[in-house]
Amino acid sequence: MKSKTKSPNGGGEKRLEAVTTPDMLRMLVENVRDYAIILLDPKGNVTSWSPTAERLKGWRAEEIIGQHFSKFYPPEDNVSHKTATELAVAEKEGRFEDEGWRVRKDGTRFWANVVLTALRDKEGKLVGFGKVTRDLSERRAAEEKIRKQSQEIFEMAAVPVVQVWEGILLVPLIGTLDSQRTQHLMERLLQRVTETSSPVALLDITGVPTIDSQTAQHLIETVAAVRLLGADVVLTGVRPTIAQTLVHLGIDLSNVFTRSSLTAGVRMALEILNLKVGPKS
Amino acid sequence: MNNESISVIKVRDILMVTMPSDPDDSTISSLQNKVLTAMERTDAKGVILDISTVETLDSFFARTVSETAQMVALMGGRTIVAGMRPAVAVTATQIGLTLKNIETSLNVERALDAATAERPRDPR
Repeated sequence: MKSKTKSPNGGGEKRLEAVTTPDMLRMLVENVRDYAIILLDPKGNVTSWSPTAERLKGWRAEEIIGQHFSKFYPPEDNVSHKTATELAVAEKEGRFEDEGWRVRKDGTRFWANVVLTALRDKEGKLVGFGKVTRDLSERRAAEEKIRKQSQEIFEMAAVPVVQVWEGILLVPLIGTLDSQRTQHLMERLLQRVTETSSPVALLDITGVPTIDSQTAQHLIETVAAVRLLGADVVLTGVRPTIAQTLVHLGIDLSNVFTRSSLTAGVRMALEILNLKVGPKS
Repeated sequence: MNNESISVIKVRDILMVTMPSDPDDSTISSLQNKVLTAMERTDAKGVILDISTVETLDSFFARTVSETAQMVALMGGRTIVAGMRPAVAVTATQIGLTLKNIETSLNVERALDAATAERPRDPR
């Protein structure tokens, strides 16, 4: 097909005729799965239709032959005269390829890959266009699903909020905290605190390598916001290096409960809740 | 105009004050008077301000709440703000409102527990 479009006056057509018969080509066009192959006249009106095109787009041959191919496009594309642009590009450059939404007879949309190929006679005069449409809806849906899942996993891993006791939430943070992540942390934590009516949240930064002043500011804001809801935050896992950094940066955390270990943090949370854990006997 | 939408109910020794979801400035202005006169009339020990339906918190509202809490404290009572929504807390923090020196509670029930327990909430 390619050699045919690249050199309309060359020997491509002859070779094609030599190895295949027109009947076999017609059978291919009518039976190939997932592709709708149709012909347009130079103005873009449909001149040939195929059973595969009917399966994909819904129109019957007698309904669509003679109609302009802008019928396959959603209204927003027709407002911008997309079909005219496509024909112009295909005529000038030999072909035009596009991926986008197309419309079926019943108005539903499908995601399609479309290739328009200019067809010229031996003198090089434009006789029409070949249009190959491939339904990519399934591929797109699969891609969308994978993208959504990985996004969910990423968000879960970025800010895991778990309830460790009635009234105690734990957020084990691992890795560097950028501002996007801390923003997400604030929203998730506030939401979970409200949902679970938890008066205490433990924010464990054992797995956070370093803290800069911006991150610290974000953490302070998060603590302030949680306080407004009526809950407290205990910042745990404040290692010696983190403590040194915080003091050297001049960050005032005197309003925030801080503990060096998660154990100490849990003890403090129980104290806030007025609970006591002791030996069984 | 819709001043009536602030409700003040006395439960035991506590005044339950419920804010409407979208209080305008005049409603907010009337909050202080309503609370203080009720404090005087009923000799309550504390005020629970339920803002669980409030969707926006501006600086005027925040200042009014802070001032009212201070006035209630002068009259010998304590104020607990209950049920702030997460989205409200986020915007409040972003514009720098932290409601300093005001007690907060997740919901009215916990606020009632806190108000009647007489236990200092801050273990520091």
